[in-house]
Formats: sequence, C-alpha cells, structure tokens
Amino acid sequence: MQDSLAALVDRAKSELPDISSRPDFESLKASLVGPKGELTGLMKQMGTVAKEDRPAMGKLINETKTTLQALLDESLARIEAAELASQLGSAVDPTLPSPDPIAGTRHPLTLVREELNAILKKVGFTVVEGPEVETEYYCFDALNTPATHPARDPQDTFYFPEKANFSNVAKKVENEKYLLRTHTSSVQIRTMLKGEPPIRIVSPGRVYRRDTVDATHSANFHQLEGLYVDKNVTVKDLKALLDYILKSLLGSDTKVRFRPHYFGYTEPSFEVDLSAKHLPKVNKEWVEIMGCGMVDPAVFDDVGYDSSVWSGYAFGMGIERIAMMMYGIDDIRYFYQNDLRFLRQFA
Amino acid sequence: MKISRNWLQDYVDLTGLSDEQISEAITFLGFEVEGIESTGAPQLENVVVGEILSRDQHPNADRLSICSVAVGEANGDTKRIVCGAQNYQAGDRVPVALIGAVLPGDFKIKPSKIRGEASEGMMCSGKELQIGEDHSGLMILTDRPEIGTPINDALPDGDIVFDIEITPNRPDCQSHLGVARELAAWFRRELTYPNVNHAAAEDTRPDLLRDLRVDHAEDCLLYTGSVIAGVKVGPSPSWMQERLSAVGVRPINNLVDVGNYVMLEYGQPMHAFDAKKLAGPSIIVRRANEGEKLTTLDEKERDLTTDMLVIADAEKSVVVAGIMGGENSGVDESTTDLVLEVAVFRRFSVRATSRALGLSSDSSYRFERGIDAHAVPEATSRAIALILETAGGTLCGPTLRVGSDVPWEREVTVNPSWVRSRLGFDVANEDQRSALEALDLLIVREKEGEAGVEWTVRIPSWRNDLDRPIDLVEEVLRVHGTAKIPETTVTGPGLLANDDPVAEYNRRAGSYLIGQNFNECVTYSLRSGAEIATWSGEAAVAPLALDNPFVEDQSHLRSTMISGLLDTLKLNQSRGNAVSHLFETGRVFIPQKDVVVECAAVGFVIATDSTAAWKEREASDFYTTKRLIETLATQAGVDLSRQPHLPDESPASSGWQEGQHTLQGDMRYGWKARFGMLDLAGLKSRGIEGKVLAGVFAILPERLKSGGKRKRFQPFSLQPAALRDVALIVPQSATAGDVLKDLSKVARDVTPKSFALEDVNLFDVYEGKGLPAGTKSLAFSLKFRAADRTLKDEEVNKTFTALLEKISAKDGYEIRQ
Repeated sequence: MQDSLAALVDRAKSELPDISSRPDFESLKASLVGPKGELTGLMKQMGTVAKEDRPAMGKLINETKTTLQALLDESLARIEAAELASQLGSAVDPTLPSPDPIAGTRHPLTLVREELNAILKKVGFTVVEGPEVETEYYCFDALNTPATHPARDPQDTFYFPEKANFSNVAKKVENEKYLLRTHTSSVQIRTMLKGEPPIRIVSPGRVYRRDTVDATHSANFHQLEGLYVDKNVTVKDLKALLDYILKSLLGSDTKVRFRPHYFGYTEPSFEVDLSAKHLPKVNKEWVEIMGCGMVDPAVFDDVGYDSSVWSGYAFGMGIERIAMMMYGIDDIRYFYQNDLRFLRQFA
Repeated sequence: MKISRNWLQDYVDLTGLSDEQISEAITFLGFEVEGIESTGAPQLENVVVGEILSRDQHPNADRLSICSVAVGEANGDTKRIVCGAQNYQAGDRVPVALIGAVLPGDFKIKPSKIRGEASEGMMCSGKELQIGEDHSGLMILTDRPEIGTPINDALPDGDIVFDIEITPNRPDCQSHLGVARELAAWFRRELTYPNVNHAAAEDTRPDLLRDLRVDHAEDCLLYTGSVIAGVKVGPSPSWMQERLSAVGVRPINNLVDVGNYVMLEYGQPMHAFDAKKLAGPSIIVRRANEGEKLTTLDEKERDLTTDMLVIADAEKSVVVAGIMGGENSGVDESTTDLVLEVAVFRRFSVRATSRALGLSSDSSYRFERGIDAHAVPEATSRAIALILETAGGTLCGPTLRVGSDVPWEREVTVNPSWVRSRLGFDVANEDQRSALEALDLLIVREKEGEAGVEWTVRIPSWRNDLDRPIDLVEEVLRVHGTAKIPETTVTGPGLLANDDPVAEYNRRAGSYLIGQNFNECVTYSLRSGAEIATWSGEAAVAPLALDNPFVEDQSHLRSTMISGLLDTLKLNQSRGNAVSHLFETGRVFIPQKDVVVECAAVGFVIATDSTAAWKEREASDFYTTKRLIETLATQAGVDLSRQPHLPDESPASSGWQEGQHTLQGDMRYGWKARFGMLDLAGLKSRGIEGKVLAGVFAILPERLKSGGKRKRFQPFSLQPAALRDVALIVPQSATAGDVLKDLSKVARDVTPKSFALEDVNLFDVYEGKGLPAGTKSLAFSLKFRAADRTLKDEEVNKTFTALLEKISAKDGYEIRQ
C-alpha cells in the first residue's frame, strides 16, 4: 500500500506537466483523487491494514492526498495562466491611431450662445423661446414700429402669402400676415403678454433678413436679446449689465461705451461700442457690438403694463458678430458651411 | 449724409476744435461718423514748388522733354527732369516731387533713366497729388508761390467732410444747419442762422404764374410758388461749387445749385421750373392720369399711376411730386424766368411713389423722413436771396401759397428729479437745464410740485420727435454725455423661472449626440421647393412657400434639416475631409392636412463611407439610428415603444430608401420621427458618396415640459433571477415587435402573483436551413424574479411549461425544439 501511494504520487508528477487543457486535467484529476480514482480505491483498502498500522497508514494517506492536491493546484494554475495568455493578441503598438471616430464637437454659434446664456443666468436671466414664423403684430406693431418703417418692407423682410396657416403660431390681430421674424424681440412681447413683471429673460434664436449673402450677411442669422422689467430700472443699471456681460465674455480689461442712437422700442436708445484691442482682427479702437435702451413706455402700454409703475431695459446682439469678433473669423459663411476643419477648431 | 466742416463754420464757430473732437461730438450726440475725408492735398514730403527754367526735346522720344527745374537752394538748386506733359512752358511754376518723395498710391520717386536720359524727380499733375481729377497735364501754379516752398504750404487748405449716419428720428439733421445746431449744443457755442434778407418784390407777373391749385391737400400739405424774372443762368460762384462738390453734389448751374445748396443747408427740398416751359400760368398739384408718362431729369421715361402725386401745368405733368422734376420743364442755359417751388408733401405718399417707381432722390429721401413745414418761409427767402445774388433777376410779387401752415405749439412737462430717477444717477437741475436750453428746448414755465420743481419745456418745430417726458430724458443724457454714466454692479431679483424646455431639450440632445461623436452643424432654414417635394411630398411645397423669396433656391421653409446636413456632408467630402457624423438642432416646419406646425427638432446623418482605417470597425446600420432616435425621444419625454402604431398618412418621401427606414409617431400626438437609410439613388444624384443613415425627431415646442416630475426611487429585488429561453417559429412577415408583445402578454398571464416576469429579451433572429419555408425563428430570453426569495426550479418550470403551451396554441406560433 505504501508503494501504491508512492506510485500514485509519481504518476501525478509525471503526467500532470503534460496536461494543457481543462478536460484532460479534469479526467486525470478524477483518476487520481475522484470518487472512482486510485486514491479513493487505496483508502477503501484501509480495512485490510493491520489495526496497529492504521494510524501511520492514515497519516500517509493524508500526506499523499495533500501532495496530490498541491500538484493538482499547481497544474491548474498553469493551465489557467495559459488560458488567459491565449486570450491576448500580440503586444499593442501604442502609436497606432485609434480607428474610432474623433469626439463630437459643438458648433461655435452654440458655444457663444450658451456662454452668453450662462453669463446671463448668473444674474438671473432665464432663456425663453418663441416661433421663428411670426406675425406683424409681434414682430413690429407691438414694438412700436411705424407702419412705414423700412424694416417692414417686403424688400427687407420675408412674408408668407395670405393663405399661409401656421397652426401653432397664434395671431394677435385678425388677418395680419405671417412673416419670418427679423429679431427675437417678438419673443419678449409674447413673454410680456403672458405674465406679469418682474421679468428677466434672454431670447436667443434664429432670425431672418432679406439680404444678399456675403462675408458679413446671411439669409438667416442668430440673435440674442435680453429684457428686464421691474420697478425703478435705470440707464445706469443697463450700463452695468452690459459692462458685466462684455467683461465676462471678453475679459475684464474690455471697455464699453454707449452712443445715443434710435430704436423704435426703446427710449433712450444706445449703440454699444467696445474697445477690445486684444481681440483678433480688430484694428479699430471702438467696435460696434450691440444695441440697447430703456423700454419705450409705448411698448409697455401696448402689452398692458402700467408704464408709470414699471420700467425696464432691453438689449440685443448678433451671435455671429460676437463669435466672429471673439474668434477672429472674417466670413460669416463659414458658420453655415460647417467644414470640419472649421468646426473642430472651437470644440 | 455728408457734412462739410467749412460749411458748418457758417453757423457755429468751430475754431480751435480738431476734426477728431468734432467727430467725437457728432458720435456722442447720436450720429455715427462713417468716415472723415479731406478734400485738400494729402500731407506730402519732398514735394516742393519748382520753376521750369528750360525745356528741351528729348533726343530719343518725340513726346518727351528734358527740363531744367529750379527747386530752391535747400533742395539742391536745379534738377534735370524728363517730362511727358505738354501743357507748360519755361517759366511756369509747378509741383516737383524730389527724389525720396512718396506720392499717393505708394508711388516712390527714385533717380531713373527714361529712354536713356537721367531724371532726378517728377513734375506732377493734380491727380498725381490727389488734389483733383485733372490728369491732362502738369498742375500749373498760377499764383506763383516761392520756389522751394513745400507744396502743402503753397496749396489752399481743403475742406473736411464728415460722412454721418442720420437716424430716422432726426430728419432735422439731414442738413448742415441741423448738425450745426447739435454741435452748438455740445460745445455750448452760439448758433448763427443764414442771412435770408433779399431785395423787395417788384410787380407780380401773372403771365408767368397766376395761380396754384392743390387737388389733394392730404398729400400736399403746403405748396408755395415764387416767381423770379430776368435771371442769367451760369456757373454758380466758386465758394458754392466747392461746398457742393465737397459733399458730393455735382455743380450744374446757379439756379440748380442754389436749390441743392438750400436743401443741404435747411433740409428743405425745392424745385425750379423754367416759367416759359409751363403751358399757362397755373400750377396744379394732382394725381397722375391713367397711362400718363413723364421723362424725369435722369432721362428715364416713367409710367405713372393714378395714385401718384404730380405737379402739372394745364397740359402735362412736370414733376413727380417731391421726387424728381421732368425734363420738359427744368431750368437750362436759356432760362430767364423761373418759378421756385417750395412745398411739403406727405411722407407716405412720397415713399409709396418712390418705391413704386424705383426712383429716389435727395429730395424724396428728406420728404420720406419728414421735414419741418415751419421752415418753409425761411428756406424760401434764403433761396430767393441766393438766386438774386448769383443769377440776378427780380422777385415778382409775393410768394403764392396753398395749404395752411399748421400752427406749431408743443410743450412737454418734465420733472428734473424724475429725469434723475430714469437715469439712475445724479445730474443737477442746472446741468439738465443747460443741456435742454443748449438744444433750444426752452423752459418756459416752472412750478413747484409735490415731487419738486416741474418744468414746462417748449419743443421747437424741427423736433417733431419729442413729445413725452421720456424723450427729454434722452436729450438731457445726450448733451450731458453718455460717457458720464457711472459704473456700478448688476442687481436684480432672483426669479423662480427655468430656461425654456426647448432650450433645455436642445442642450440635452446636443450633449448626447456629441457624446456619440457627432459634429454639430448649423445650416440654412430656407430651401428650394424641389427639396421640400423630395422630403415631404408635392403637397407640402405650397404651404411652406415664402411670398417674396430673395433667391430661387431659398424660397421655402425647411420641413427637415436632412437636406442641409447633406449639403454639409457633400461639402466636406468634396474638400477631402473624413466626415461621418453630423447633426443639427433647430426649427422645422411640418405641413399637416391644412396647416403647418412649427416644431423643435433634431436631425442627424451618418455617412458610412468615410476614410478607411487600419482596423475595421462594425459599420452603423438602421438599428444604430433606432437607438439614437429612441434616446432623443426619451430626452423629450416620449417613449417610442409605447406609441400606438398609426397608419402612415404622411405623403411619400422619396428622400428615404424604401424598406430601409421607418416613420414613427404622428403630429396628432405632437411628435414624429423618421429614421433609417436615405435613398441611394437620391444621394448619388446629389453627388454624395456611399450609404447615408439619418434620423429626424420633431416635436411641438409646447409639448416639451420643463424639468418634469421629480423621479421617485423604485425598490428592486436583490434575489437571483431565473432565466428560460424559448425560440419561436413565426411567419416571415411577422414583426419582432408584435411577437414580443404577444409573448410578453402570455408570459405575464401565466406568471403567478408570487413572482414576476422581469424582462423578455430578443437575442436571436434566424432564417434558413432547418426551418420551414416562409418562416423565421425568433429566440427570447425570459427573466423571472421574486421580490423575497430565490425561485425554485419547479415553480419556474411550471410557469414556463404553461407559457409554451399557451403560445404554441396561438395562430402562427410554433416552438422551435
């Protein structure tokens, strides 16, 4: 029996190193230590062993069992390691390019719009949206635009035929014509007609002018307009806000100046220039950047706000214009061509 | 408008102010200065006065001469210069550009040889020095300045011309007097009005003008006619010509020039008729007759319509009122007697006619913006004085006039402390008063009110734009100076409001797609009618059409953003950019039965044929677009799988590949999605390479909700799941969705209440060998789980057996063994 146990260990030692697959391992293991294996067979012969020899023999069996188990474990570990190794290919060349697509990019107009939205959100302005198809009332009448103002002329504004019917763009006046909004101020009117002051909104969006497309003009472009209505809003507050916006956007050494101007829906009105010699491709001391003013009392009267109680300011800018200035882009058409070499520069 | 500094000087003394100071003043008064030009010579170095001492024939060229020119001791005494001009002789003094001079156009003067003869400089024409257009020969300095004098010292000073944009609310500033008035206010200097005195009228000449008749007083508020007889037409004096030229008006003759001059001075257009060319002594202001034609001074024949106002004599129309005179009655060299028209026409009438005829003029421009009717008598006197001064003649009788001079009286009451409250900063009462009075806005009454002193301000007739207290806030601020607005910090209430759901959706959708490696694009919203037909069918074309498109291929609103994205794809492909994933968010316009709805939308394209990579990746397919659209829908609060399948009532879209795309949702539910593969033939004809997958999700803006309900935690079982697989043989035409629905329903029905069917997952689709013809096999994995215990095999088996029995009993279902 002693010899049989030693032979069993020898067999394990000689056969296990040749085993390379798990099924072979399992069958060898079964033949060694399984319920029908040799070790079990030898253990069953314990009854034939003399009583006084049994403890020594028992000890020997246990030792053999331990030895066999260690041999099996070692062999299994070797097989598992080989299995894992077989899952790997050859070593990588870390300099090979990834075949996966390059990360997506946001359009520069979105980047500028969202940056402005975020700057304004910090001081309490939330975004409002409105339809691009508008009516004469929201786009012009409510903004105190005289019936003969050139902006209303079909030479400058896109109109729809009388029979056009945009079912989710509400008309205010019967038989008024649909048009494509020329500014996002129309959204301000819709907002004022919907609720009571105080109001602090920003309306970014696409607008349309009937213009020849060239380096600085586009058939549609984007604006961002803001409106604040409250008690005791002053010219000084307006200047403070625009200083804040433009310094946030273009750096704290940006200088801002107001020039008196004329817009139908604000009084007084201003054009805003900024001095930003640090910007690319700006070779003038002052560059016109946006328009603004104190909301004309006539506009409040029209939307049903008491102009003796409420005052406010409004401002508006072209997003393309700001983007062109910020990034030093010299042709507006780049925004609409979407050449990937352009898009990837701003992500 | 062009404004001459010399001219302004007549009305306001600008001595001691630089051009930049004046320009800045104009700017801060509210008029953009678009340019400043000098009419004089530019500053020229090394250009001096020289005297031609001798002129000899060039030995090698007939048209050239060799001159000896004295240029002064300091400049090297005499120079030998080869010259090609012919208009001079020895003894003439001319400008000489010495070696080292740089003439306009960056023309450097260097020592040179001309046809073999050395030349040490150049004698110049006016044009070469940029002081005129004369290029016919040398500029002969007839007043013989000292030899060697720098040329700038020898030439008269030029004028400075400011090109100013006048805002539409300030028609009074369409004139030198108006701008001078503003500058007088800014610099607090005196305003001097022109001299309007002229010789008294002599006897009337009813043979030249007997009466005026205005048929349409609503369009012609005031009409005046003055007669001047015996004038002599000729060039106007040089001072007048210089000023007109400086501001870009070509001098013609004294009569025409006076009309233009007074218009540019007062802003009041006027017109002079040759009295002899009028048929009869009557002037009639009437509407044009049917089919009437008039050849205007620009030599074009104009077809007039019956809503246009004309000035006529007994036989014919002679002027398109307020816009332009006719060739048939204008003054010319032979004119001796004239009728001077000074009138006020209604703005909108002039505008409508000007638009209809496509004809505008300095006159119509001013009438359209509105003119000060109360300045008519003064402007008339000024014009008469200038005509008598420059063309002689006599004024005959009083000026005839039709229409009333509507009396002007306007007062606005304003409280200076209220002005401060609008401005938000302190401007003392005295500073406010000073600003207003500088603009001739005189405080005519003062009253102590509850809120302090109250001023009644008289508004002058030329300031029709001022009629409310807020208008005076602007005047105070303008003259006080917007540069004085103090700096402060932003304040404002915190408001309970969120960004619009559409804006939030666009951000979510954009972030998702960018995370999926898409490049965001922005494309034009206006497309051609043909494209609308491609994407949304013929019936969609008309409802999306603009009334007045600007260009043919941008005549309709887009119904999808796919066409714009395809343009982008094509552009990038043609420029050799490896392009694959593009998207856009924005508005699309979707025609329904009788109406169009404006929707928020997101669209994307995936080109599957971008450049080859060293290692193959699995290509995108229909199911890629399905996952993208499902996610975009979920972000809009729409569960794609839960929408009932409605029959597709949308018109056929030839832009999408048949059998390779799907339409989901319906505008009746407020949203719609289309996704899959684009029509291969269509792509090919567009010039796009390879297959393109695409998707569009459109939703009514009002259906998007802000934030939505706060999510509530749903507890889930921590017990192990039991899985069972089943493969079903179904007809080939059966959709996986219907099978899944049927199987799930059966599975739920047979599952007892003590545990739950958690998920049914389709994991294999098989067609072909081993299956009956016309069938396919769909394999599903069902996941069961109990909330409180590990499921026993027996109970799951029992449920599963019941499921198999029940599903195989259904028509068209067979268990695949």
